[in-house]
Amino acid sequence: MSNSGFPILSLTILFPLLGAILTGVISNIKLAKKIALVIAGLELILTLLVLLLFNASEGDNFQLLEHYPWIPNLNIEFLIGIDGISVLFLPMTALLTLMTIAASWNSIQHLQRFHFALLLFLEGITIGIFSALDTVLFFLFWELTLPPIFFLIGLWGIGPKRRNAGMKYTLFMLFGGVPLLFAFIILAMNHAVDVGGTLPEDLSFNLPVLLKTQLPDDLQAIVFGLLLLGFAVKAPLVPFHTWLPTVTMEGPTQITALLIGLKLGIYGILRFTMPLAPSAAVEYSWVLGILGAITLIYGALIALQQTNFRRLLAYASISHVGLVIIGIASLTMQGIQGAIFQLFNFTLVSSSLMLIAGFIQHRLGSTESIHLGGLANVMPKLTSFYFLFALASIGVPGTSGFPAELLLVIGALTAHHSLGISALAGAVLSAAYMLSFSRRAFFGPITQAAINQTQDLRPRELALICAPALLILIVGFFPNTILKTNQIAAEAWLSHLLNQPAVRNNEIAGLFSP
Amino acid sequence: MDALVVFVPLLPFIAAVIIGMGQLSGLLNGEASEGKTAIIATWAISMSCLLALVLLTADLTQENTGSLQIGQWLSSDSLNISVNFITTGFNVVLAALFSILLLIIMRFSTNYMHREAGFHRFFFILSLFASAMFLLVLSGNAVGTFFGWEIAGLCSYLLITYAYNRPVASINATRVFVTNRIGDAGFILGIGFTYSWADSINWNDLNALSEQLSSNEATGISLCFTIASLAKSAQLPFTPWLARAMEGPTPSSAIFYGAIMIHAGVYLVCLLEPIFEQAPLAMSILIASGALTALYSFIVGLTQTDVKSSLVFATSGQIGLMFLECGLGFWDLGRWHLCAHAIVRSYLFLTAPSLMHQVMDNPIKPVTPAIAKFHWLYMASLQRFWLDQITDWTLVRPIRRLAHDLNYFDDHFIDPFMGAPAPAIKTISSLAQLEERIIGARLDNNADQFAQSSGLAGKLTELLASLVHWFEDRFVLRGIGKDAIHLGRKLGQGANKFEQLILRPRYLVLFVLITLLLAF
Repeated sequence: MSNSGFPILSLTILFPLLGAILTGVISNIKLAKKIALVIAGLELILTLLVLLLFNASEGDNFQLLEHYPWIPNLNIEFLIGIDGISVLFLPMTALLTLMTIAASWNSIQHLQRFHFALLLFLEGITIGIFSALDTVLFFLFWELTLPPIFFLIGLWGIGPKRRNAGMKYTLFMLFGGVPLLFAFIILAMNHAVDVGGTLPEDLSFNLPVLLKTQLPDDLQAIVFGLLLLGFAVKAPLVPFHTWLPTVTMEGPTQITALLIGLKLGIYGILRFTMPLAPSAAVEYSWVLGILGAITLIYGALIALQQTNFRRLLAYASISHVGLVIIGIASLTMQGIQGAIFQLFNFTLVSSSLMLIAGFIQHRLGSTESIHLGGLANVMPKLTSFYFLFALASIGVPGTSGFPAELLLVIGALTAHHSLGISALAGAVLSAAYMLSFSRRAFFGPITQAAINQTQDLRPRELALICAPALLILIVGFFPNTILKTNQIAAEAWLSHLLNQPAVRNNEIAGLFSP
Repeated sequence: MDALVVFVPLLPFIAAVIIGMGQLSGLLNGEASEGKTAIIATWAISMSCLLALVLLTADLTQENTGSLQIGQWLSSDSLNISVNFITTGFNVVLAALFSILLLIIMRFSTNYMHREAGFHRFFFILSLFASAMFLLVLSGNAVGTFFGWEIAGLCSYLLITYAYNRPVASINATRVFVTNRIGDAGFILGIGFTYSWADSINWNDLNALSEQLSSNEATGISLCFTIASLAKSAQLPFTPWLARAMEGPTPSSAIFYGAIMIHAGVYLVCLLEPIFEQAPLAMSILIASGALTALYSFIVGLTQTDVKSSLVFATSGQIGLMFLECGLGFWDLGRWHLCAHAIVRSYLFLTAPSLMHQVMDNPIKPVTPAIAKFHWLYMASLQRFWLDQITDWTLVRPIRRLAHDLNYFDDHFIDPFMGAPAPAIKTISSLAQLEERIIGARLDNNADQFAQSSGLAGKLTELLASLVHWFEDRFVLRGIGKDAIHLGRKLGQGANKFEQLILRPRYLVLFVLITLLLAF
């Protein structure tokens, strides 16, 4: 572990938070919007700088560590750092936020400063989630995402039940938070028992330390279950997914793009659930695999039935999560690397598609397929981009979806043939739902008079959608750029799970009666 | 001379990128710039053609080393996928042949597509397709071949929807792509098995290892690639997609379904000759499917009155014969047949429009005497053996209905079950609630109840009390009242409905599938 001199990670967390305050207090609305955009742009540069400073050949170690005491009585620290698994999420978050701000430039009509301030606030908090290495700090950031999202959905939603949707989202996430906290406390207490110390002096919430702490098998199962439950709500895995369709239908499209783009739940599973309970993770990886397969097929089948583009994207996104979970559950190098790759791909694809849905919604007031039809006639550019993203979502070669899908399928096949076959069935279904919606919305004759007067992509929209499109193509042709950053980290991650020392089993009694 | 092979797929790809960017930025648009687009595409394909011919000459004079590797595309653990090419033998012959045909068809389209609305789009797709096809036949590893395979399929989708205003065109295109996707899944599965059993996805390594693979492994790998080939080459049971694909402009039909793409399946089977030789089961599937398709295409072809559809069934019949030849072990005959057929069929397809022009559209043909006597056969031929309907009935509709059921289940069961407590967030939603609030009564509030409590034990008692009260009130006090009967009936109806649903064939099949997957 290496300490860097300049606290760049803290800066990437604090900079958007300060920017949020600045955006919120400036009275000139136009100026505030511009400042928000500039801050998001600078933040993207900052995160790219982090990516540059990151040393991929030592990706198994946490780097750019920063360490300050926070609540010394309980050994809770402000500990942040990144490794090969988390480093890519930082620039992705910054890019998504920048795109979101650009997309909501004209579509937000009231309380504009508050809106942009909340977006920046959310960005800072999210980057905090990806870099926090102290479980309590992580939990703090995790729960802090709720207020901005609650307001963003409730205040600027486009559906009539937006308040309801905001509340539903918040309640679901609060429910998911409880098992997480519980698991973190069990882990901290186990550490005290493991070193034979006393409470509360020997509690530890430090992730690198906890990773080295032995955890008895029976506790492992409990911790694994709790953490999985907590993150499954956010991911979302079936049956905890019902908040997502509601939010996509009621919430503003650009916020939904951000929500389905940031795969926080899966990050949590990768970072906490699996490594903190390694032997349970290996033992119960089949549960995870089956959950993933069910989520994949279930989401894809329901997506086949959707008539609304936004709802379709919600279920497609659920199906994607299932695919990634299958990769993680395979416990092979290809599976893990494919999962991280696929996260990168889906982040770009689902959020860009959601933004495109937003463009359509903004022009026509609906994304229901009955109100669309023949869009390709009047919006050839939008259609081209839509197709590029749809193809990446299907996994056509040349886009970033293909290497990801290939790795996932190979990983899943090596782990268990059924998992690989389910993944392939999902791939066939994804082509079916994506293309049959394209047919209804983009092809065919124009049936609605309003469509004839719609404009194609404006320069602002074109610019913001070009960035992910280029990334998808570049990464599709040169997948090693992504794979190199996480190769060492994935190897270490996997060997941590598979080569663990023998675990002592008689510690459970000691934990609750010291 | 090996290094030339890189440029064969690269040049048309660059042409496609230039045309695509030009179209997107508005530089290449309308009739005025048609010439530019055509020149870019034709030049690229001409140079590719020249290079492919040089490569072929070099191979014939034995100046090629046989393979070329230019770097790594993807690496993960022991999975290394490099960018490599095969520069010898049948692959080069095919590349040269295809490049000549592509050049001819490209030149033909320049005039044929003149003043069509999607002129630039057409040449973009055609160049992309040329690049994909060269990659398909020249790539030295399975992933490279799949790259070309899938992009070629995508181009076929895009050209079938060429006239996207027509609903039929886009419906057919979707159907064709999804059908092909099943074959693609087989291909990827084959790649996965190849990697896990042979530790390499290079074609040469795989073929060299064919003797060492166990019979089961060879059968597994070759079955996966058989599915891919049959789907791509429109053999039974996948044949119906071919007739749907005729929506595209004629040059594209010629190129995709007459001359080039349709042969990809045969090429793949020929490429894997050593593996197939180890797998008698896969060989017999090739024989069965090839022979049946040839017969099917012959019978259906007899009743076609449209020039393009009769050509299509002739094509699938010939390809069926090629598979039959390969299956019987006459590999070289299959290869020769492929090359000869590609040339003849592209000529026939390209002359089809002028033929139609000469004979004034389609004159009505008398019924072929061979089939006129057999009414049932005639009917079956007209209906193309109901293959589309059978697929709809066995596959498409059950999946759609399953999706519908799941959607209902998600909305009406999972959502309310997992959902947030509605009253807490809906505030006042009905007039009754408003009145209730005005008069200050709490009609369904626990506070009005007799038992009020605090603390955990108290709350538990209260809960128990209300439960017992509900039981007493609903069942004991009212005896076998209206409510109990109503409830019982409802339960019975629900159970009946559930059982009916579960006994539907789609669920039975689903359960069998899940069981198989778990047991596998």
